[in-house]
Amino acid sequence: MKIICVVKIVPDVDSFAYDYENNTLIRENIRMILNPDDACALACALKVKAAQPDCTVEVVTMGPPSVRPHVEDLLRLDTDRGTIISDPAYRGSDTYVTSRILARYLSTRPFDLLLTGSHALDGDTSHIPAQIAEELGLEQMSGITAVDFEHFDRQRAVFEVEYENSVVTYEMGLPAVLSLDRESGYQLPYVKYEDFQKDVSGKLTIIDNGELGFAAGEVGSEGSLTQVVRTYTQNFATRDRTLVQPDEKGIERVFNYLLEKGFLTK
Amino acid sequence: MNSETILNEVRKLLSPEQVNTDRETLYDASADRYKKYAKARGVLDVPMPLAIVYPNSTEEVSRLLQFCNEHRINVIPRAGKTATEGGLENWKQQTLVIDALNLNKIIKVDTYNMQATVQAGVALQDLEDELRKEGCTTGHSPQSKPVAKLGGLVATRSIGQLSTLYGGIEDMVVGLECVFPDGHISRIKNVSRRSGGPDIRHIAIGNEGTLCYITEVTVKCFKFYPENNRFYGYLVKDVEAGIKVLREVMVNGFRPSVARTYSEEDAAQHFYHFHKNKCVLLFMAEGPEGIVEATGRGIEAAAEKFKDGIIEQVDSKYIEDWFNNLNWSQQDIDDEFEGMKEHDSHAGFTTEISADWETIPKIYNSVMQRVREEYPRAHELTMLGGHSSHSYINGTNMYFVYNYDIHCAPEDEMRVYHHPLQKLIVEETLKFGGSMCHHHGIGKFRSEWTRDEHGSAYYMLEKLKAAFDPNGIMNFGTIFLQEEGRKYLT
Amino acid sequence: MKRTLIFQDTEQIERTADLLAVAGKMYGEEPFESYALVIDGAGAPAVAGNADTPTSCDSPGGLNNPASSASASSPGGPNDPAEALSGFFQHVIRVARHVAEPHDQLGICAILAELQQEYQFDSILVPATPFGRMIAPRLAKRLHTGLVADITDIRRQNGGVEIIRPAYSGRLMAAIATRGSGPVMMSVRPGVFTYSGRGGGDGAGNAGSPETEVREYTTPVESHGSLRRLAVKEKQISYDIRESEVLISGGGGVLRNFSGLQRLADALQGRVSASRKIVDRGIAPRSIQVGQSGRSVSPRLYIALGINGAIQHVEGMKNIESIISVNTNRNAPICSLSDIVVEGDAMEFVDKLTERIEAFRSDAHAEQGAQQ
Repeated sequence: MKIICVVKIVPDVDSFAYDYENNTLIRENIRMILNPDDACALACALKVKAAQPDCTVEVVTMGPPSVRPHVEDLLRLDTDRGTIISDPAYRGSDTYVTSRILARYLSTRPFDLLLTGSHALDGDTSHIPAQIAEELGLEQMSGITAVDFEHFDRQRAVFEVEYENSVVTYEMGLPAVLSLDRESGYQLPYVKYEDFQKDVSGKLTIIDNGELGFAAGEVGSEGSLTQVVRTYTQNFATRDRTLVQPDEKGIERVFNYLLEKGFLTK
Repeated sequence: MNSETILNEVRKLLSPEQVNTDRETLYDASADRYKKYAKARGVLDVPMPLAIVYPNSTEEVSRLLQFCNEHRINVIPRAGKTATEGGLENWKQQTLVIDALNLNKIIKVDTYNMQATVQAGVALQDLEDELRKEGCTTGHSPQSKPVAKLGGLVATRSIGQLSTLYGGIEDMVVGLECVFPDGHISRIKNVSRRSGGPDIRHIAIGNEGTLCYITEVTVKCFKFYPENNRFYGYLVKDVEAGIKVLREVMVNGFRPSVARTYSEEDAAQHFYHFHKNKCVLLFMAEGPEGIVEATGRGIEAAAEKFKDGIIEQVDSKYIEDWFNNLNWSQQDIDDEFEGMKEHDSHAGFTTEISADWETIPKIYNSVMQRVREEYPRAHELTMLGGHSSHSYINGTNMYFVYNYDIHCAPEDEMRVYHHPLQKLIVEETLKFGGSMCHHHGIGKFRSEWTRDEHGSAYYMLEKLKAAFDPNGIMNFGTIFLQEEGRKYLT
Repeated sequence: MKRTLIFQDTEQIERTADLLAVAGKMYGEEPFESYALVIDGAGAPAVAGNADTPTSCDSPGGLNNPASSASASSPGGPNDPAEALSGFFQHVIRVARHVAEPHDQLGICAILAELQQEYQFDSILVPATPFGRMIAPRLAKRLHTGLVADITDIRRQNGGVEIIRPAYSGRLMAAIATRGSGPVMMSVRPGVFTYSGRGGGDGAGNAGSPETEVREYTTPVESHGSLRRLAVKEKQISYDIRESEVLISGGGGVLRNFSGLQRLADALQGRVSASRKIVDRGIAPRSIQVGQSGRSVSPRLYIALGINGAIQHVEGMKNIESIISVNTNRNAPICSLSDIVVEGDAMEFVDKLTERIEAFRSDAHAEQGAQQ
């Protein structure tokens, strides 16, 4: 079985600090991490591989050269192959273009299953998996919270998706794109201490536009159909800290606060 | 002698009920709080002891030590289990942990002569509670007070949060009783002072179980004046500014019971509700009314003199609240343990060092810089800071605190995070001529620097070890570096 | 006149009309023609029966016999999605059950593409439900047009339109512009927009209910894909405090009457959580302990009752919108993080606030009753 995991290296948004004085997010020196949903996807792939020795796992990401150390770390696990799609021409690509680029690469590779995450911490559009699937003529499902490893082979997969009030079990024919949610709980193992400096360059391939052959106007901001015009932070006021007593007046104050904030609607 | 035989012999030497070979208990006894995370995850890399034994008397301790000495069995003396530097960790296959659990009698409380005598297995809190009934206090208040026991507190040269007034354990011990590997029992009598040759109490005080087993201690009592407590708190520009004020107070001859300066991140742990991301300076004065008043004025004068470094004074009520919520309990330890099983995190580690007044800020700044610039996982640190909490006329300590997100396998946590950080701090401290171990003891995990710490005076320690423990059975790996144990140090 | 197609909200059909507010903001004063696409059988409760009995299973082969499905709806009947939208949209296109299942992404995408060919919509809006978030990008790809995901606002700027959406897990707002010749496509965050023309008015805000024209879509679809629903289980009520929007949290100050917190939690439809002090005493299980060594929580509302606020506790409180703390000590650390500090006895507060809320709710009920 051949599994390809499409992953993204994203800023660790949890470590963004907020500058109250200037009303901005402090985005310097932010760590980059493997997108948590994507980590679940790779963990799931490695779990399948552990049970089926002839399974191969490839990890693919599109990003700037700085993602290399992250991909190398993934190769220090049981991943067989890592591919970085990187070209300055691709900078500024929106999801429409990014999915085109990824799909073009993926169409050159043999695979039974594409595993991805469902949401990315930074953009969180969830477009890429669906759009890759559309480009490749495959079916896709997002939000997968459990994979049934008993009913899983090269022809079909059985999996669960958790919704607000229900859990639905689906079956889908393979090849297809399956997108996991971090709720699935599949955990990537940590690289072992002795492997921290392991040379994995033999398993790593870097692909640029020379191989994929897009015209300049087809990619980057030029080829994109959506564009971020500007960003701004919400106005996070520091808290008011109103002081009251638990007397009638104070209770009424609290009650009104709850009412205003919408905690008392049915 | 094989392990089965050892156990049988020990059961005969004491009684079967006094020998514990329960697997979980032995696993827990293999390491102390230094490896708390690996222990919680069940991935300790050290051998388990053969048994934990609970002698009922000093004579039984003597018989046990003789037996172990004869058969070259490693001995780990243990009481409250609060050790943090590997002092209780086991590095030998054939080890007996001798636990002072049953040596738990408060022998005498004498508030006329202001002395209290207890066995080594008495919890400090229990002794403190007894003294309070008579309007007295031990004056010894480490954060581990509810859990730590006197044997360990003396063996590690511990210090408490009120040391700036009352001193460290070494200032509080009057006499003691200890047992040596050859079985010899030494009782050092209780006198107010003497010059009868070198002060041999100090062979036991701080020996960390490498020379003898402490069975009984007598400590001084102090009168307790809670009604006179006074608190002061300030926000200061940086750690150095805070230390200047601390020095001024000490050098002018005042003895507050608590005198501390916290760096910003460390302050956030305790004072997030008022520190406005600044450093915190705080004092507490206690004792008889006149003294408290004078001490208060001394503190105020020092603050006034260095007011350029002070941003603002904070409401004393905040400091008082903080003081009233200080100590750990066994439940804190248990809770952290449960948390470590579930999450890839713990409550952090510390490295405590000391130096004179002008050197401490240099060490602090140098460590902070080196960690941020050189430590490869600096981005995973969730907290890095320090506080000065024990001051003397001629210097103070610096208690480095650090915590981090654990992004590695549990068995690798030490090598990836704790060791490299501790190494950096020790290196800088020794480079500047400070001491790498202010009050936690050397344990095992600073033993690779014991020689550097003592320099030419190491000779004296070495000779003591050769004299009292020629067979090397006492707490193998603690204080005295063992090549065989190197593998556990990296 | 501009034409907009709004795909139905597959979770709550009534919310579909809210997207008319989006169209209204886009087109401003300009009138527009509103179309809704509904799939027969979608939006009806997915679960019938108890948790262990799988329901709504597809029989092998893909196509379902409409009569055998628990969630089939009949035109004009109570579950008819077209019925729910009439009076709001000028046109409703209903896809008959035998043409495509509600979960058939490929089939429904094909239908949407067909409709775009036919009607040439200027904009297509999709509610950002789990299904919507999969079908919208696929359709955008098929139509070669840009898609803005999960929008929360639209602003008119200098003769143009700014589409606003959250990024970085909500920490940043981004304004997006689209280009190209295809329809403007957006997925819309549910619950953010409200169509104020409820029960009347067309998309352009004119008074009076439009006459809704319903069209039955029966053209067969080529490809349905292989996706089958095997089972649907009702989710067990989650007692996980991490999933609750409202937490009533008790600490040392409510030791004696911790169980009294449940009533307030019920009144606010929240859950009870605890500080370590409570758990240490064995009064509550560790699973509801908030803190660094317990659980990290991000509810919208956190009411801290008799909790001091040691850093270990506070580290478990992440990104909370509203914090109310009740403590006899107004200087307790947790008070510095609170929007409202109630200085006093926590149990007294719990009792009084619960009474106040229960009174409010029974008044509201009485009113409702009086109006029926």
